[in-house]
Amino acid sequence: MGTTASQLRKDLLSEYQVVMHVFFRAHKRFSELLSKEDRNVPTPRVPMEKVLSLPELKSNPFRKRICHVFSTSDMKDGSLTFEDFLDLLSAFSDSATLEIKSHYAFRIFDFDDDGTLDGGDLEKLVNCLTGETDDTRLTTEEMRQLISNILEESDIDKDGTVNLSEFQHVISRSPDFVRSVQI
Amino acid sequence: MSFDDKKHIRGQVLALKSFKKSRQLNCFADCSTTVSLAFRRCGANMTLAKQTLELWRGTMKEVGGKFGTGVLSYFKFLKWLLMFNIFSFLVNFGFITIPQLIYHPTPDIPAGVSFKGLEILTGAGYFSHTVMYYGGYSNKTQGTGGRSEYNMQLAYFFTVAAYMVLCGAALIYSMASSFRKKYVLADSGLGGAWQLLCSWDFSVTNEKAVRQRKNNLRIQLKESLSEKIQVALLPLTERLKHYGVFLGTWLLSTGMALGCGASVYFLSSGSLLEEAATLLLPFVVSLINLVVPLFYSLFKKIEHYSNPRMQVYAIIVRNVILKMSILGILCYYWMKDVANTFSCWESIVGQALYRLVIMDFLFIMLGSFFGEFLSNVIGTKCIQSLGVPEFDVARNVLDLIYAQTLAWIGIYFSPLLPVIQIIKFFILFYLKKVSLTLNCQPPRRAGRAAQMQTIFIAILFFPSFVGALSMVAYTVWILPPSDKCGPFRGLNTTFSAIQIWMDDLNRVDAFQWTVWIYQHVIRSEIFYFLISLIILVFIYIFRQITQGRQLLIILLRQQIVNVSSGELSGPTCLVHQSCCVRSGCVYVMMLLKCRSNIFS
Repeated sequence: MGTTASQLRKDLLSEYQVVMHVFFRAHKRFSELLSKEDRNVPTPRVPMEKVLSLPELKSNPFRKRICHVFSTSDMKDGSLTFEDFLDLLSAFSDSATLEIKSHYAFRIFDFDDDGTLDGGDLEKLVNCLTGETDDTRLTTEEMRQLISNILEESDIDKDGTVNLSEFQHVISRSPDFVRSVQI
Repeated sequence: MSFDDKKHIRGQVLALKSFKKSRQLNCFADCSTTVSLAFRRCGANMTLAKQTLELWRGTMKEVGGKFGTGVLSYFKFLKWLLMFNIFSFLVNFGFITIPQLIYHPTPDIPAGVSFKGLEILTGAGYFSHTVMYYGGYSNKTQGTGGRSEYNMQLAYFFTVAAYMVLCGAALIYSMASSFRKKYVLADSGLGGAWQLLCSWDFSVTNEKAVRQRKNNLRIQLKESLSEKIQVALLPLTERLKHYGVFLGTWLLSTGMALGCGASVYFLSSGSLLEEAATLLLPFVVSLINLVVPLFYSLFKKIEHYSNPRMQVYAIIVRNVILKMSILGILCYYWMKDVANTFSCWESIVGQALYRLVIMDFLFIMLGSFFGEFLSNVIGTKCIQSLGVPEFDVARNVLDLIYAQTLAWIGIYFSPLLPVIQIIKFFILFYLKKVSLTLNCQPPRRAGRAAQMQTIFIAILFFPSFVGALSMVAYTVWILPPSDKCGPFRGLNTTFSAIQIWMDDLNRVDAFQWTVWIYQHVIRSEIFYFLISLIILVFIYIFRQITQGRQLLIILLRQQIVNVSSGELSGPTCLVHQSCCVRSGCVYVMMLLKCRSNIFS
């Protein structure tokens, strides 16, 4: 029993040794976001406002959706534990594969969390990317035309929504996607 | 997935791993773990070392972050061409120049010729008797008696041939892989709304840059919407007028290219041989290359292409026709007139190429000054409406392709020309980077960088490399080498050196197989005919397979629509153009998912 336990630890150690420095750097940034009282709690959670203050996320138009997608909190308030924070960093790193990135991108674009991108989600997506104020938005006619173009391009089974496989199919034809989804 | 689920799965994976490992012997496990750890550390260190040694990595990341992938592709192209030239230099210097320098360390320069400063520009005079050009190499088999022999003729021929073959193979490989990854799989339709939406760059952190990108995206979305509407609405007379305008501009641009070619021909046949006057021809050529593309960009105001991408393609094609026709005329002049007139004609051609390369470099620097610095000054101070200029990737890449064509033609006539090219590209990198940072702004439209790169590699292969290769092949195969200088003096053609070598080998029994291959494979026409026939048969078979797969994709798409809407009869009319197997597999997966959704 003793030998197997020590062997287990040695194996784990050799696995973790390679990524130790990345781990510690991420943990340092995470604990900077925590307030003093929370540091001693066993699984601390960082509230959404603190996460949004990170320089990488501050100006990102999808910052709130990113927090909601990676958060595992039961209250759906967008708060992140360290585990969630690591998930976020790994999904946006340059070694994540196309499948992972497209999976998370789909969930980020799915504003109503129903598992498909329908017209409402697409409209919110376009508004996020073009601007929030009235003079920077597209007109309703242009929006309608744009959404019908998007659906014509990517909705293969013609059900009026874009599901995950259709989204991944469209993304696979865009060679610059992997490089642009990085923080 | 919730945190507890993840922890549970991770625990199971680790338990399985440790169970497998604990079954082995203790000492063996220890050894193998230490060894594998050592290897992994070594591998990680080597990757780190390779990354720090990689040329210009930091600079290119900086440029890519600030200006985007379109501008970055220019610098990557420049670096790739630099690698070609470095390889060429190493091969030529190692196999041709060093043996020549070992056996004849001092060049035999006739009396009265000394080094004046003008040689750097003209390449003639002192340089024409050194190893810089073809004429500086001897034709004897070096080495006497006990030392090993070095056949200069074979070395020269095989070095140039091997370099060209390797270059061609590298170009074909990168062209094919780039074509497959970025052209076939990318959307080739108009607009491409998803492409625009998914091109949002998550790594941009500057507030002002984010606002600017949102503006650009909105403008591009509006443009792509209006494009789609515009195409459908033009009446017949308008369309006829547009086609008439296109025909006119294309005739005019081709006529200008041919006219420039003819004027270059007359100038070169009348040009003088005195040193300073020889600079006139390269000066005129570079001037034409700088000024006439500006005329071509004026055509933009008259023509109205429905798609801005077609506009860029039209500009590229016109520029390529201009540059290649001028080079073609010059090559024709060298092959026909110079080869018959002068005694050491290969060195003369080498010198002409040297002058073209130097003059091209000077004009690129001038072009950078006018194109970027002055435009910036005019745009910000004088005419505010023009604004800060953007970096014109197409024009700059075409300049690079032209420069590389000159270097490839010059490999045979001037083995050390790659040195000049390496210096030129090095200086050009830093010059363009400084000019970019000081004078230009990031591009306004998210260009199709990946597709443009494929087109540039294709242009580098087809008119540029193939043209240079055919000119060198013509020289080697048909033209008689000069009889007073160079490694092939006294022979009928350069290729006769191989024939002589094969005759020598024929006398030795051990090499009969080489002679057999030479006579029955390389020199027989039947072999090439059979190979071409077999390749054509394979192409036909693969084309039938591709068409069959296209049909399969169409049928699967119809089936997806039918299955998801619950109908099992009657095809709906959809035709979508997509011709790769991966799409077919995706459709099969989606079909299975649809089926499972309905029947679950």
